[in-house]
Amino acid sequence: MSRLSFRPRPLDIHKKLPIVKSIKDFEDDDTPTSTRTQMLRLVAEADNDTQVHQVASKKTVSEIPTPEYVIVDTYERDYSPTFNQPASYLRARGARAELGDFVEYDLDNEDEDWLQEFNKERLILPAEKFETIIFKLEVLDHKARERAGVITPTLGSPIPVLLTFDAAVEALQALSIQYGVFQSIYSYWKEKRERWLKPVLRRLQPPPPVNDTNPYNVFRPREKAHRLHTRRMQRRENNVQSFEKLRQVRRNLDQAKNLLEALIKREEKKRDVMESEVSLQRIQMKYKNETELLEDSLALPEMPSFPQQSKFVSSEDEYLESDDFPLHNNNNNNNRIRFQPHGLMDTPRVIMPSGVGSMKRDIRRRPVPYSWLHKLDPVEPLLLFTKPLVAEKLAAVGIVPPPPPSGGGGGGGHNFRGRIGRGGRIVFDRWNPLMHTPIECGGDSLLYMPPKPRSSTHNSSFQ
Amino acid sequence: MQPLEVGTRVLCRWRDGKHHPVKVIERRRLHTGGPNDYEYYVHYTEFNRRLDEWVRLEQLDLDSVENDVDEKVEDKVTGLKMTRHQKRKIDETHVEGHEELDAASLREHEEFTKVKNIATIELGRYEIETWYFSPFPPEYNDSLNLYFCEFCLTFMKRKEQLQRHMKKCDLKHPPGDEIYRSGTLSMFEVDGKKNKVYGQNLCYLAKLFLDHKTLYYDVDLFLFYVLCECDDRGCHMVGYFSKEKHSEESYNLACILTLPPYQRKGYGKFLIAFSYELSKKEGKVGTPERPLSDLGLLSYRGYWTRVLLDILKKHKGNISIKELSDMTAIRAEDILATLQALELIQYRKGQHVICADPKVLDRHLKAAGRGGLEVDVSKLIWTPYKEQG
Repeated sequence: MSRLSFRPRPLDIHKKLPIVKSIKDFEDDDTPTSTRTQMLRLVAEADNDTQVHQVASKKTVSEIPTPEYVIVDTYERDYSPTFNQPASYLRARGARAELGDFVEYDLDNEDEDWLQEFNKERLILPAEKFETIIFKLEVLDHKARERAGVITPTLGSPIPVLLTFDAAVEALQALSIQYGVFQSIYSYWKEKRERWLKPVLRRLQPPPPVNDTNPYNVFRPREKAHRLHTRRMQRRENNVQSFEKLRQVRRNLDQAKNLLEALIKREEKKRDVMESEVSLQRIQMKYKNETELLEDSLALPEMPSFPQQSKFVSSEDEYLESDDFPLHNNNNNNNRIRFQPHGLMDTPRVIMPSGVGSMKRDIRRRPVPYSWLHKLDPVEPLLLFTKPLVAEKLAAVGIVPPPPPSGGGGGGGHNFRGRIGRGGRIVFDRWNPLMHTPIECGGDSLLYMPPKPRSSTHNSSFQ
Repeated sequence: MQPLEVGTRVLCRWRDGKHHPVKVIERRRLHTGGPNDYEYYVHYTEFNRRLDEWVRLEQLDLDSVENDVDEKVEDKVTGLKMTRHQKRKIDETHVEGHEELDAASLREHEEFTKVKNIATIELGRYEIETWYFSPFPPEYNDSLNLYFCEFCLTFMKRKEQLQRHMKKCDLKHPPGDEIYRSGTLSMFEVDGKKNKVYGQNLCYLAKLFLDHKTLYYDVDLFLFYVLCECDDRGCHMVGYFSKEKHSEESYNLACILTLPPYQRKGYGKFLIAFSYELSKKEGKVGTPERPLSDLGLLSYRGYWTRVLLDILKKHKGNISIKELSDMTAIRAEDILATLQALELIQYRKGQHVICADPKVLDRHLKAAGRGGLEVDVSKLIWTPYKEQG
């Protein structure tokens, strides 16, 4: 036996194997010894059955001896040739027990011996009748026990006779048996039942209990309905546990539904906010353009007949009295809007931070509609979609304005204005690129805009 | 003289007139004769337990009573050293076909089945010697002979009882649906739940000829496929196989038996083939329940060999074990075991190949024996079992 040169990989049943038709393909390969070792390996790996096969095959040379049989001579007499096979395949009819009439009981040795003794002098009782009576007694007793609710699924304690003699007599009147004969039969049967401790008709005998380990007792029932053990099967069990589980599932689903509804609302609101912002931007853009035109027209002493303008003029009458203070305030407020330079022109009320309703009353507080316009830097670059810087938020992420230099003046050091540009970048403008002036910036407020000097001419145009 | 002890090994004259070694399993006093007159239940150590029987003292060669010396021997096959008794036990286990049972189950099994209770039965045309113990209800244990109604399988202790029964029993075939008929051969499907008494009777009967069959649990969960030869007296059972309604291990057959008078006629092979035809119709791969008896294993090896080699002879190109399994409904492991046992799978140049030289295949096919009666699938009218309600 030579050494194995290699170890074959385990066989993959899904892999297609070539079918080799000729033995020669084997012979002119490698070394003969590897074939031999291979065959030995296969033989060794084959399961025990192979060995038995080899052992048994030696024995089958001379046949496996088996017990014998002979022909029964009374067969032809006992079994009558009355079977007519129908052309179609036979179908089962219900089990005979269900059909009721068939006498399932057969007399056993005891019964026959007793009957022989009973009929010793003369034939009082034919065997078939005796058989029928015992059968019916058994069935009646079973029914009596059913009505009393004492039927056990498995054999536990001794099974008593509940059928009384009188009940039996009454039930079996139709059989027309002599009273005395019937009495004998009943006593015999009852006594037999008391010895057996269980019904004499096999079909009515309960099976042994599941935990009975006596190997001579057979046909135990399975512990519970043995169905295919799939998970689906287990889920289908109809008990309190699965009811609770289903309840929980329902609660979970309701919660999920609520969550999703809330989610939908949130997303809708976000969408509305977005849409509002977009329209806001659009309107601002639109009115930025229109503002320029309007300013040009306002610079002229004459009042061109702009319908808008006249509108303003008329409504402005109410706003004659105004001083800087509220303006200033409002400027501050409007600063915000300034960064979105195109406020709403046609209804200046909209831009007023304080409510719309009571305009006529609180004139003072109202800004001069045009004044904010002048506050706007007309050459200020269009800063679309920019957002103001919020100092607190920036500080929270670690972005703080540089401290003022120790030597310089308070307002002088860093003059720059910040804004959030496109893409979320923070942009600091130190130099107004258009005015070519430094951006004055003082204090901590990055939002601060020095008020632009108002020319008296502007103001006077209102009067 | 002193009666022999249980466990004695001695030579005994068998039905062939020759003496064979036996072991005394049981003994009982004779009704007639003196206090030392016994008869002995012996096991022929060369043969299967089904040949155990009660013998008289005169059949035993008392000079051959063994001295119980347990000397050391060497087993030639494995080279192991052991005592003579141990070696004998191993050899006898091979004969019994009990390898698949572990030692504890084997002991337990042998303990309560060691003595046959019923010696012969009458079933239809034949009176048959039994092979093994069967757990009939205790009231039947005093009877050496039982008489079975051929059609409903009710069993009785006296011939007159059977004759009386035959006058009222109108059943002429198994109580189920006929699912196959070809010529005089018919197959009936009986549901153990619907015909419980019949199912139990069949199990009692079959156990007389099957060693490892267990009747522990009830017949509700089984289907019985009863094979019959039909004539003007009715449909006579020649064999059957049982099948679980739901098998977790994909067994397509639980127990299989051809009644002794009908053996060696091809019915067993028919039953095996039929079980695979049902599997094919179900679209499932199947395998017989283990352990298989010695006769059963031979039959299955023959069937697998014939089916697989027939395919290999005709097939062109490559084929995988899985494909063979899909074509035949034979489980892949069984295919592999069969091909390996026949040395048809070789490892060449880094891969497995199947050797299908026609001469080699024909040699194996011849050794496997002829096929049994063929199953004509066109005559099978059947739908797979479905649980109701």
